[in-house]
Parts: sequence; C-alpha cells; structure tokens
Amino acid sequence: MNDLVVPVILIVLAPLIGGLVYGFERIVKARMQQRWGPPLLQPFYDVLKLADKRKMIVHSTHAFLGIMHFVSLWFALAVLLLGGDLILVIFLHLLSTSLLILAGYSTRSIFSHLGANRTAISTLCYEPVLILFAVSVFIQTGSFEVASIFSYNQPLVLKMPLAFMALLMILPIKLKKSPFDIAEAHQEITGGVELEYSGIFFEAIYTAKWLDYIFCYTLVYLFGANDPLVGMGLVLFVFLYINALDNSSARVNYKQMLRFSLLVALPIAFINLLLTILHLL
Amino acid sequence: MKLNAFRKKSPWILHYNAGGCNGCDIEILACLAPKYDIERFGMINTGNPKQSDILLVTGPVTKRSRERLVEIYSQMPEPKVVVSCGACACTGGVFRGMYNCEGGIDQYIPVDVYVCGCGSRPEQIIDGVIQALAILEKKTKELEVSVRLKNEAVKEGTQLNRRNIAGEIKKLITIEKN
Repeated sequence: MNDLVVPVILIVLAPLIGGLVYGFERIVKARMQQRWGPPLLQPFYDVLKLADKRKMIVHSTHAFLGIMHFVSLWFALAVLLLGGDLILVIFLHLLSTSLLILAGYSTRSIFSHLGANRTAISTLCYEPVLILFAVSVFIQTGSFEVASIFSYNQPLVLKMPLAFMALLMILPIKLKKSPFDIAEAHQEITGGVELEYSGIFFEAIYTAKWLDYIFCYTLVYLFGANDPLVGMGLVLFVFLYINALDNSSARVNYKQMLRFSLLVALPIAFINLLLTILHLL
Repeated sequence: MKLNAFRKKSPWILHYNAGGCNGCDIEILACLAPKYDIERFGMINTGNPKQSDILLVTGPVTKRSRERLVEIYSQMPEPKVVVSCGACACTGGVFRGMYNCEGGIDQYIPVDVYVCGCGSRPEQIIDGVIQALAILEKKTKELEVSVRLKNEAVKEGTQLNRRNIAGEIKKLITIEKN
C-alpha cells in the first residue's frame, strides 16, 4: 500500500509538475539567449487566460479527439508511474499520438493535414527505438515491468549506454524540439495539428505537451532508477542537453530526420540489443 | 470566477502585415529579441489567429489584403484587441490616396490603440501593446459582437470607416469602470 502513495500523488499532480517544468524550461531557454524570460508560472497564466476565451470549435469530433489525446496520454503516464508493462506504456503513448493525428486529418485545413503527416513521420522515427529499448530492458532484467527496473541491482545506464545514446537522439523528435521540430514548426506550419484548436480546447493540447515532458523525463529517469541520485542527475543532464540543442540548431526537413533516425539511432539501439543478448556489458 | 486579470499576464500576439514596407515588422521582431524581450511579459508571437489575443497590424490596407485582414480578425475568438502599428496602418501614411490602397485599417476593423511613427520604435510598440492590455482586461466576450452588429460603417468622402465602433466600445468600458 505504501509504495502506491508516491506514484498516485505524482500521477494526480502530473499536469502541475509538467507546467512547472515547462515554465522553468522557458526561463532556461531565455537565459541561454541572454534574455530575462517569462515568470515561472507563465504556463498556468496561459491556461487560465485560454479558459476565458470564447469557445470556437471546427466540429465536435475534432474537439473530442483533442481531449481524448490528453486523457490517453495521462493514462499512459499513469501506467508508467505505477510500474506497469513497458510495451503497454509505449503503445498507449502511440494511441494518444494517433488520436492527435486523426484530429489533424479531421479538419479541412491544409496546415493541419501537414502537421498530421509530419506527426506520423516523427512517430515512425522514435517508436522503433523505444520498442528496442523495451526489449533490451526485458533481456537485461527478465521482465517487461517497469517495477523490475527499480529493483534491478545496477543503474541501467551502465548496462546499456548505447540505448541511452539512442534515446538522446530521439528525445528531441518526441518533444518536438529543434532540430527535429518539423511536426510543430511554428514559423512554417504554425503549430501543425494544434492549429485549429482554440480557447478551452487548445488547453487540452497545451497541457498534453506538459504531460509529454513528464513522460519523457520519466523514461530518462528509468536509466538510473535504482539510485535516485543517478536518475535525477541524468534527468538534469538531458534537460540541459535538449534545451541547448533546441537553442543552437536549425530545423532539418523530414527526409533528413527520417534518415538520421533510421540509419543512426536505430542501428545504435540494435547494437545495444545485440550486446545485451551476448552479455558483453 | 473572474479570470480577467490573467489576460494581461499572457497576451499572445498575432502580427499581420497588410502591405507595408516591412519597416514596422522589423521593429516588432526587434521587440522579441534580447534587448527588449517582450516575452518577459508573457507575450508570444503566435502565427495563429485562433489562439491569439492581440492583433498587431502594420502597413496600409491594399486591396489584395483587405479580405484577409477581415478574415483574420473574425477568426480571433473574443476578447481581442487591435493595435495598429505605424503611420501607414493608422492613416495610410505615404500610401494614402494611391489607387491600390485604402487609408488605414480602421476602415475595416475597429482599432483600439493607434501607435504612430514611421517605423514605430520598439519602445512605442511595447507602450501601445501595454495600453491595449488595459482595454483587453475590461472587455467581455459579448461586448464586441453586440456593438459590431449594431453599427454601420460611416462614409467619409470616398472612404468608409468603422472608427465609431471602437470608440463606442471604449465608452462602454469606461462606463463599466465607473
């Protein structure tokens, strides 16, 4: 019973923590550009303002799919934090992304279609690497359960450093950060899928983005799960790495992204799997 | 619950060039750069009318861009304010009276704040936007639509204008304040 308390609190507070992470990220990003940056609670001000705007929807299915995207992402996060099956977590995350893609295709806006296309392509880029990571975890710990990583006797980052490297390569795609932010691309397709959302319905998409941060950083934390210090250190490192990369790189096109992910990140994950099977590390 | 106070904490700006020379646009982009950094007030330059609160228009309205201007304005959900930025957007500027232009954006949409200058300096733009925020805070969702439906455009010589709409909204807001 006792070991359920912390995950449940984390799950309930996930949007709040995600908002703080996003606010902090905006400050860090501004300081890297030698700007002052918005206040820490800025994401919450945005949400409270959006709640007060007039409600405009394209059609009800579109709005419903947006809200379901948020709900299913929260569910995936809950399964991850409660120590469930890693494969199940990855597929639930895929489900939430596919709801967003459907929402993008359900309108007649050309930018929304482009965004949905690009979201589908980025899913193609990061999903195989995540699956290979889950299989490596299975071979290493003997179980797909996330809980088994926590009870493993060594930090995973020492046992499979190549998987960590592959994760570092695909995380910018997943979090829609430069150089792989083609799915969002504010200057190019003005947000892609989220373009047609407004007011309180955009809130669902906006808050889902925060949940995505928590999801990704929890995946990173798994690499140092049995020692909280190592885990937090890795999360901090990845946070700074992603923001520095976001600030210092320009957007690549989808072909370059696909080529990079399938020819560099995926083989690295494969080599990691082979090394794990052969017990070389 | 009153959420009006949060409007001025996160104003999202939509920037539209209705056919100007790009001088004001460069000054607007300078506001986003490290020296003036308007993101510290929570402002973001969104490219999306459906999620923005402030419409920042530069340039005289050319006959090609006027439909887009009105369409973008009508796509923004209320409450919203319009800031016309630079001499051209306020009055037509040096383009006034040309065959392809109209004089100023207030012939098509109600303007809340006029920012002068050719091109307007970043300090002026920030000041204008902050003034617009005071108006935005007091607006209600229904106010604007009701006034807009009631009022016809006024004919002045060869030109139509809708200046009286914004004027009436402003009057209503001050009455509510008192």
